[in-house]
Amino acid sequence: MSTFSRRSFFKAAGVATGTAMISISPAAAAAIEPGALETTPSGPLPQEPIVAVIRNAELGEVTVLSGRTEKTYTDKLLVKRLLKAASKNHHSGQGVA
Amino acid sequence: MSSHREAPEISMDPAADNADVYAFVSPDKPDTVTIITNFVPLQAPAGGPNFFEFGNDVLYSIFINNSGDAHPDIEYQFQFHSSLRNPNTFLYNTGPIDSLKSTNWNKRQFFSITRVQDGKSKLLGSDLKCPPCNIGPRSTPNYETLAAEAVHTLPTGEVVFAGQRNDPFFVDLGAIFDLGDLRPFQHLHLIPTPDGTGVDNTKAVNIHSIVIQIPIKSLTTDGSMPTDVMSAKSVLGIWSSSSRRKVKMIDAANDSKSESGPWTQISRLGNPLFNEVIVPLGKKDVWNGQQPSGDAAYLSNVEHPELAGLLPVLYPNVFPNLAALKTARADLVAILLTGLPSGVVGGFQNYTGKTYADMLRLNVAVPPAKSPNPLGVVGGDLAGYPNGRRVFDDVVTIELRAIAGLTVPLVDKTFKPDAATSAIDQGIAPAASRYLTAFPYVRTPYDGYDTPSS
Repeated sequence: MSTFSRRSFFKAAGVATGTAMISISPAAAAAIEPGALETTPSGPLPQEPIVAVIRNAELGEVTVLSGRTEKTYTDKLLVKRLLKAASKNHHSGQGVA
Repeated sequence: MSSHREAPEISMDPAADNADVYAFVSPDKPDTVTIITNFVPLQAPAGGPNFFEFGNDVLYSIFINNSGDAHPDIEYQFQFHSSLRNPNTFLYNTGPIDSLKSTNWNKRQFFSITRVQDGKSKLLGSDLKCPPCNIGPRSTPNYETLAAEAVHTLPTGEVVFAGQRNDPFFVDLGAIFDLGDLRPFQHLHLIPTPDGTGVDNTKAVNIHSIVIQIPIKSLTTDGSMPTDVMSAKSVLGIWSSSSRRKVKMIDAANDSKSESGPWTQISRLGNPLFNEVIVPLGKKDVWNGQQPSGDAAYLSNVEHPELAGLLPVLYPNVFPNLAALKTARADLVAILLTGLPSGVVGGFQNYTGKTYADMLRLNVAVPPAKSPNPLGVVGGDLAGYPNGRRVFDDVVTIELRAIAGLTVPLVDKTFKPDAATSAIDQGIAPAASRYLTAFPYVRTPYDGYDTPSS
């Protein structure tokens, strides 16, 4: 398990840095949270979703699935932001995709 | 059975449910090994309009170990994709399908095959055609012609087929799962009824088979064609599996599904009935996701199989010697987890080393039998199960007899099997027409129009 920055998180996931997305796909790109910081991707968007799974919130462990890869990192700030987003989901009620 | 719907999770996922694997020296081409692995079990032939097919989101694998460590040395991967000619009809076919190129066939399936060895992948073939399902005399009037078109010879020497077949596995499911009943002996059961004749419950159900015939020289560790039965180089460990991507997302608004993450194994099959009968219910799903090289974790389940304890209870006073047997079952460990070492069965071994692993073990130096015995090695036929597995081997009877104690004297000469042990029989004798004598060896699937017959 390695410690890394959010920049390297997105780099590892094949996504342009600086975007606070939990997961991204061509279809989901339009559903980015209003107010989230967006940048122009430096490369093509991946054809498959990138998925982040919080393994251990207290330790800041998050597993990133991208393409055929899976790797667990430690990033307490990212975990905190993901939890915050999840909390917003709960407060906004159950949605249907 | 043998591994149809054998575990809670995989019973919900038929497309990935690995029901059986067979491996034998091809009787008509003895310089090759034929491996058959089956999925999508217990198909009712009339199951339309969306007839059965392989999972387009499933990775199907056949593994070969030739170095005795139970790790894959060679892997064949199979991946499928479907194509619709006309998405605006509900019909599988809009007229008779008289060839695989027929424009009447609306929903077709294709596959690719990749060989992985020494960390390198080589695509052996792509867009290879599967046959349609066998629907009936109007839709698939010359089914064997269609199936023959779906037999592909690859430039690297393999012959491959992937498509619907009649399930070669024969078993009296209804009796076995009714508290271990055997109809020919059920007057001896704890809850007795008059004796009856065994019922072949899988006789008229279909399955999807991947069949590959591989030159033996391309499977052995040194590229040789083994002739010495007692040589370790003659033994191959063989198993198969299915895997799905770790994450699947459903985007209903955009009518799309997407996946992410690595392939994750969800089903595997080596010896028939291993997960079904040996592994307890609470561990079956976990077992399906693990590799054979880790099967030491199940050693105690093999040494003290639950079924061996149940038989004397279900058949009171029939198995007194088995009931008294308390020692660990080294015979079953050899058959299922290590292979039979030399000196146990005269002139034979299929030992793969000390690593406990559920694999089929095929000694390719044993030639095909001229007069095969469905009881395999216990019937004196060294070319049959547990030396690999042929489509007609009666693995249910073989394993029931073994668990009941028939094979204990192989490792303990002082043990005397109960008299009933050799008489255990599920009472099913499939006709020769249940199988083919040449590739793909598994019979033409039953069609939906005629099955079941009135």
